[in-house]
Amino acid sequence: VSHDLRAPLRIVNGFADILAQDYREQLDEEGRRLLDKIMNGARRMGILIDELIGLARFGRKEMVMQETDMNLLVRGVIGEFFTTRSEQVSIKTTALPTVFCDSGLIRQVWINLLSNGLKYSSRQAQPVVEVGFEDAGMSYEFFVRDNGVGFDMAFKDKLFGVFQRLHKKNEFEGTGIGLALVKSIVARHGGAVRAESEVGKGATFYFSLPKTAKDVS
Amino acid sequence: MYHKYEVDFLLIEDDHEEAELTIRSLKRNNLVNKIIHIDDGADALEFLFSEGRFEGQPKNHPRMVLLDLNLPRVGGLEILRRIKSHNDTCTIPVVVLTSSAEERDIIESYKLGVNSYIVKPVNFESFSKAIEEMKMYWMVLNQGPPYPKP
Repeated sequence: VSHDLRAPLRIVNGFADILAQDYREQLDEEGRRLLDKIMNGARRMGILIDELIGLARFGRKEMVMQETDMNLLVRGVIGEFFTTRSEQVSIKTTALPTVFCDSGLIRQVWINLLSNGLKYSSRQAQPVVEVGFEDAGMSYEFFVRDNGVGFDMAFKDKLFGVFQRLHKKNEFEGTGIGLALVKSIVARHGGAVRAESEVGKGATFYFSLPKTAKDVS
Repeated sequence: MYHKYEVDFLLIEDDHEEAELTIRSLKRNNLVNKIIHIDDGADALEFLFSEGRFEGQPKNHPRMVLLDLNLPRVGGLEILRRIKSHNDTCTIPVVVLTSSAEERDIIESYKLGVNSYIVKPVNFESFSKAIEEMKMYWMVLNQGPPYPKP
């Protein structure tokens, strides 16, 4: 299925690219503006398809459950994805427990939540993203908290739906798939997701994982 | 008698837009003289084996075959099987050029003797680069087989 989705997109991309390279000079300003719109739309479509394929793949992938040190996982994700921006952002972590889970899938949860935290706090003078957890008896509840733009709690039920976005495209880039993926992965572990926020006062995203987790998908 | 290749690439691809993009990338920076594009599996076989509407025409083996897998009438894997099992054509290098990264297709292609299997990158820039690199490899770096004896 994935390549059927991608092939027509390559055609749009390809011919727009040729038009831009070979005929750009012959277009007037408005023509060039329209061409840029086509190319930008195709680029966004590409990201969307990749993320949808990711969502489908992560939903299907057979789970490999193992003892996973969350400290290593989170440190790895921060090291791999977020160090270049670390001068401006401070990411605070506390000591995290070891959990029985599919580390590849939970890694993706951390990637999505941390990149959201960074994205929505990026306009603050001093962005802060905080990682922690609480022992909730039968489960651990992990969280990623940021001091960013936050959201209206009236929309909290929409947050984790596919293609749901609470911000305009030109405010924050995104496809509306990241949190849907988080929810799907956590649910497969028998856990749950939730979020708390107040507009302008940052947001906290929580996900719980049972201490005796098993594959419930 | 020494025969020379007249056709560098035989491109078997049913999507005309995809084919145009591929041909453009092949022709970039020269090196390639003649490309024949056929958009149907059965026609491609007729061309390769001088059958049907190509009957009676002298065999004109391409230096290489670029093969899509998903083709009308006769599929890419069947074409590959026919090329590799016939004495006249079995030395022609065949490169599968497809959007399918399905493990099944990859394994089957290698079992049938494919010489290379390339999954087309989605992004056009990477696609175009992949085609060019493939061309450089097969046209310059690789020592191909001599023209099949008639």
